[in-house]
Amino acid sequence: MFSVSLVGMSARPALDPALLSHLISAQRLEDRRGRRGSGIPAIDRLLGGGWPRAALCELVGRRSSGRTTILYAALARALAAGEAAALVDVGGGLDPRRAFAAGIALRRLLWIRCDAGEAAKAADLVLGAGGFDVIALDLGDARPRLPTAGWIRFKHGVEKQGTTLLVSAPARAAGTCAAAVVELGPGTPRFVADGAPLFAGLQAEAVRGRGGHDRAEPESQEARCASLAFSCRS
Amino acid sequence: MRIACVFVPQLALQAVLRRTPDARGGPVAVLEAGGDGAASAGGKARPKRIARVTEFSPEARREGVRAGMTGAQAAAVSAGLRLLTVTAADREAASAALADVGYAFAPRIERADAGDRVFFETEDLSRLYPAGEQAIAQAVQAAAARVGLGVRVAIAGSKGVGRLATRARELAVVPSAAGPARAALASIPVEILVEDTELAAAFRRWGLRTAGDVAALPVDAVGLRLGPVGARACRLARGLDDEPFVPRLPEDALEEAIDLDYPVAELEPLSFLLRGLVDRALARLRGRGLACAGLTLRLALDPRGVDVRTVPIAAPTGDAATLLQLARLDLARRPPSAPIVGVRLLALPARVRATQLDILRPAGPAPDRLAATIARLAALVGSDNVGAPVVEETWREEAVGVTVFDHAGPDVPLAAQATEPRLTIRRRRPPEEIEMLLDRRGPAAFRGRETTARVMVSAGPYRLSGEWWREPENTFQREYWDVHASDGAVYRVHQDQRDGRWYLDGYYD
Repeated sequence: MFSVSLVGMSARPALDPALLSHLISAQRLEDRRGRRGSGIPAIDRLLGGGWPRAALCELVGRRSSGRTTILYAALARALAAGEAAALVDVGGGLDPRRAFAAGIALRRLLWIRCDAGEAAKAADLVLGAGGFDVIALDLGDARPRLPTAGWIRFKHGVEKQGTTLLVSAPARAAGTCAAAVVELGPGTPRFVADGAPLFAGLQAEAVRGRGGHDRAEPESQEARCASLAFSCRS
Repeated sequence: MRIACVFVPQLALQAVLRRTPDARGGPVAVLEAGGDGAASAGGKARPKRIARVTEFSPEARREGVRAGMTGAQAAAVSAGLRLLTVTAADREAASAALADVGYAFAPRIERADAGDRVFFETEDLSRLYPAGEQAIAQAVQAAAARVGLGVRVAIAGSKGVGRLATRARELAVVPSAAGPARAALASIPVEILVEDTELAAAFRRWGLRTAGDVAALPVDAVGLRLGPVGARACRLARGLDDEPFVPRLPEDALEEAIDLDYPVAELEPLSFLLRGLVDRALARLRGRGLACAGLTLRLALDPRGVDVRTVPIAAPTGDAATLLQLARLDLARRPPSAPIVGVRLLALPARVRATQLDILRPAGPAPDRLAATIARLAALVGSDNVGAPVVEETWREEAVGVTVFDHAGPDVPLAAQATEPRLTIRRRRPPEEIEMLLDRRGPAAFRGRETTARVMVSAGPYRLSGEWWREPENTFQREYWDVHASDGAVYRVHQDQRDGRWYLDGYYD
């Protein structure tokens, strides 16, 4: 069916072109599962349509990089579409007024306040319940300390349940288990200096990191980057 | 009116078998102490209470065990015999389980005083069971088997006829009309027709063998000779009975209990006991289509005393593992002050919320699984930390409340897609006290538990005060600042104007 050609020291099977036409790449398979809107057009463009469904995704950034705002935008979008969403919130940093202003239907958001040691277990319980379309695991300032087996368990869990698990953390942790990664650069605050300075918002650079399913051809740096602006005004 | 009579033969035996299900299928006898034992060897007047066999399984009967034997005698004739004692708690639990079987089929039932029989109307069940009353009776038997009871079921036109039919047969459907009812009961022996042995002997002396023979006699003549008891037996044999049906609504909470022969002082064996109680309680609730919304444990302590505790449950659940975990956590957090010699478990029934699926919206989590998950999450992180966030009615920025999560709750219209998303704040709760260095423009540097930074730009102050109508210590007067720190983050800090202390509220993110 296929022949093996030796090139240098590596042996790679050369598939029959007829067979090759029936194969689906991991990237295309992921696209077929569909994507859900992130609620922020720039992130949607960066990810090629939004966060992938039935996948583990990472959102990485330091303090004041805008990752919590991006997380809430995804939750608001899912809830507005009638989907079920949960937020596992390490440290309980949710601001309900600002979350409501971001469009989150608070009554329909399952909110779990916990510490860093309980977060993975809580997320696993919510995932196991089934029916949640988006689960946001907001680790705050906590460094993710989950063994690789734990991330693999999450990966299989979200694929089985059709859930998008958004992990927000200061550093990457899921490795190849993450189907999509957005890394945020340090935010640049904007102050309006009209007499006394007034905090107006943040600007940040988002870079699409390489996820486990990211097998596409190398892209230009421009295609992998997006500029984000967050407003502080009501 | 059609009435189902559900009867538990050998209630004591079935009650102990519910507690010890591993004994099912083998020779088992129930020992109960009576006050009519032989006098002690010393010839004193005080009778010795000797436990004797009162009920036994068919396997024990085959091996020669009979009622009235002492434990030693019974063990002598059957080598593998298990001798079990029945407690009042076992009887009550079995009787309550039988009542729950009734409530699974009817909103109101009547319980017999002995606790081994229930009655309920079946006319409304014909739509659910179009196959007929035979199917209803089989469904009742299956429901009883799920709570660990083997029952006899009869459906008849009156209570007395139903009671008679359950004494004679495992499963019976007796027509209401007098003629067909008389024919259906005709083959029942007179010893079963009347429980009074003297009356049965009188019928035998008259040469009557079956209910059909008794039914052939004129009722007035029998009443003249044997009194109202005889007349009633004669009417019953004809399928006639006028005993009123007095049904009642179910009690709020259901109870399962166990009395121990020896005190238990450790959590593991107690959990083992609780598992059985929880399983049995949930089986009864499931029979009524309900879940458990509250759990109360009443622990009898050794040598005296009672420890009553309510186990908080976040949402109604039918998951035994979750309830057991919550009970275990409560016991581990507040251990009883003495060993335990008895456990009573009260389960509060509640309906799991039914969800009407929306054709235009995703289905979302299944209500029962969601309830179990919320209960497990509550056990993990505390019930105050699971739910839906709610905006408190206060101007304190850090205030947040938690309410019941409602997946089918109201939508919030998504704001029109703004060109720039609204920036949020990641809060510290409670606000973290920090040391602040000031210069003439305002904050210049600060030091907190995790953060030490110089202030590059500061915006403020924004004054906020409120709740002046409350106690002085509960009012607030603050000056807020947004500060861009040297670590790159933009923090929200405030100074309490009452004491001059500085607090870190969180950072914009």
